[in-house]
Amino acid sequence: MKLNTTSAVISFSKELEDNSVKYYENLIQKYPQNKEIFLSFIKENKKNIVSVQRVYQEVISDAIEGCFSFEDLDTDAYTFDTELPKDLSYSDVLEKAIKIEERIQKYYSDSAEMSKSLMADIPRVFERIAKKRDKRKMELESIKCK
Amino acid sequence: MSILEEPIKEVKVLKNYIDGEWVESQGELKDVVNPATGKTIAKVPISTNEELNKAIEAAKEAYPYWRRTTPLARVRCLFRLKELMEENFEELSRIQTIEHGKTIDESRGETRRGIENVEVATGIPSLMMGSNLEDIATGIDEYMIRQPIGVFGLICPFNFPFMVPLWFAPYAVATGNCIVMKPSSEVPLTQLKVAELAEEAGIPPGVWNVVNGGRTVVSGLLDSPDIKGICFVGSTPTGKNVVYKRCGETGKKVIAGCGAKNCLVIMPDAVLDKTIAGLMTSIYGNAGQRCLAGTNIIIVGEDEAFYRKFRDAFVEKASKIRVGNGLDESVQMGPVRDKTKKERIVSYIEKGIKEGAKLTLDGRNVNIIGNYPDTCFLGPTLFEEVNPDMSIAQEEIFGPVATFMRAKTLDKAIDIIHNIPFGNSAGIFTQSGKWAREFQYKTECGNIGINIGVAAPMAFFPFSGMKDSFFGNLHPQGQEVIRFFTESKVVIQRWL
Repeated sequence: MKLNTTSAVISFSKELEDNSVKYYENLIQKYPQNKEIFLSFIKENKKNIVSVQRVYQEVISDAIEGCFSFEDLDTDAYTFDTELPKDLSYSDVLEKAIKIEERIQKYYSDSAEMSKSLMADIPRVFERIAKKRDKRKMELESIKCK
Repeated sequence: MSILEEPIKEVKVLKNYIDGEWVESQGELKDVVNPATGKTIAKVPISTNEELNKAIEAAKEAYPYWRRTTPLARVRCLFRLKELMEENFEELSRIQTIEHGKTIDESRGETRRGIENVEVATGIPSLMMGSNLEDIATGIDEYMIRQPIGVFGLICPFNFPFMVPLWFAPYAVATGNCIVMKPSSEVPLTQLKVAELAEEAGIPPGVWNVVNGGRTVVSGLLDSPDIKGICFVGSTPTGKNVVYKRCGETGKKVIAGCGAKNCLVIMPDAVLDKTIAGLMTSIYGNAGQRCLAGTNIIIVGEDEAFYRKFRDAFVEKASKIRVGNGLDESVQMGPVRDKTKKERIVSYIEKGIKEGAKLTLDGRNVNIIGNYPDTCFLGPTLFEEVNPDMSIAQEEIFGPVATFMRAKTLDKAIDIIHNIPFGNSAGIFTQSGKWAREFQYKTECGNIGINIGVAAPMAFFPFSGMKDSFFGNLHPQGQEVIRFFTESKVVIQRWL
């Protein structure tokens, strides 16, 4: 699906964060080791939703191009499934988490780039979350290597 | 993409808010219709003169007490109102979408703009201060104080049901005045929700009154000797010939924000992609029902290749605009407010064809996203080869219709702007500081955009307007509206 309006993009951000929460919740149930780390990810996801929505509500205005800020942002490039098939090892599960984080990171970077000149505050928060996602990816890689 | 839930589930008969009470009206009822779905969402009363007089009387009685309430205590009510508006941000926005038709992004944008006016009005203890100078003569001091005036009438338009009333109401109340507001009977729900919040915020009975209605209420407000001033936003014929004139006859202060026909000038060095995005919002945002909407696009220069490139990019973007129910998050343009307005816009499209303009995009053939009646929907429309004298270039259409005109030089483009009777807004798209400054300096319009599609002033600046777009001296918002709602009293004193 192609997104063009800010409202649709903000809702899609929430959807990605919610799905990522679902994945880590499933992960914790199956592999309780490193539970604290994944719980902190879940907490951070929820904070991200709040900060994105807050920034949107605070900057959206009839003077900026809210309905035209994003040019065909393709959701297919960023969606992921949250299932954990039974036969996946812990290492595979972490690998899948890394792939999810890469997708989410790319989503925030791409949408920030797309809207940079029109929606200043929103791309700024997207960039901040994208950076957090990079860190998270590194953290997952280091757990995987242990 | 999802369609957001409608904020109102059952059709209710709306009440007036008078003297802190929710009062049923004896007037006849009119349907409030969601223009996207065609469904009735409420029934609004057309209140009687007696009902209006009760509201005016209540405001008049509340005024001496409210005036004596300290400015700090008055703005505490507004701080609470602002917080309640933030808490109800989404509901307020969705109500605007279902009663007006605008997209949810546009409604949220409007909600933010309205709240910003409440925020600015909370600065009244500083903003309302007077001035003083000691020793204007030996041993004599002089000072100026700003005093509230009494009861003000607010006559509100349909196109911004949340924001426009808040260009006035919070400032009027913060400065110690009382108000009687008549929301547009086409979109009354938003302001009734605001009144509920005002009540919850502790604004005392009689200070903030809302009377639903039509011409009877407007005439009553204009004629009442107890109404000290009128804030009006609407069409030029009504603003100029009825409101402004009548206020002059009855000695009332007046702000009358009226119609517009805004031009956007495209210079040959404009950054195309950003310009096009700005134009889409300006022309097709709010389905063109905005007094700051750009409608006449004047392309400067004789470079045919630039014109074709610009035109093609414009047409490509405009033809992709998704039209539908504003609660559908993927929709970029909602319906116009009602069938009559659509018919009026269509008549202008027909007039444009008759006058010889080239119809490049025909909004009458609209592809609606979702299964909705086409009663109020129009698609983006574009005329090329428009002559500045044509009616589609001179008159306010108030719909999603753009006209392309050509001008050899910037000065010729400014001449076109000056030959239009309105002076609300104009914009230029360029990378040249010299051209931008020249445009800003010469153009006789109240709000100027430089690489901005919708030059909407922030709450702490006046919402300006000139020529047939504005009647009065002081404009809505910020310091100017505070001056409007107060009288300057000068005291010269000597102690013997």
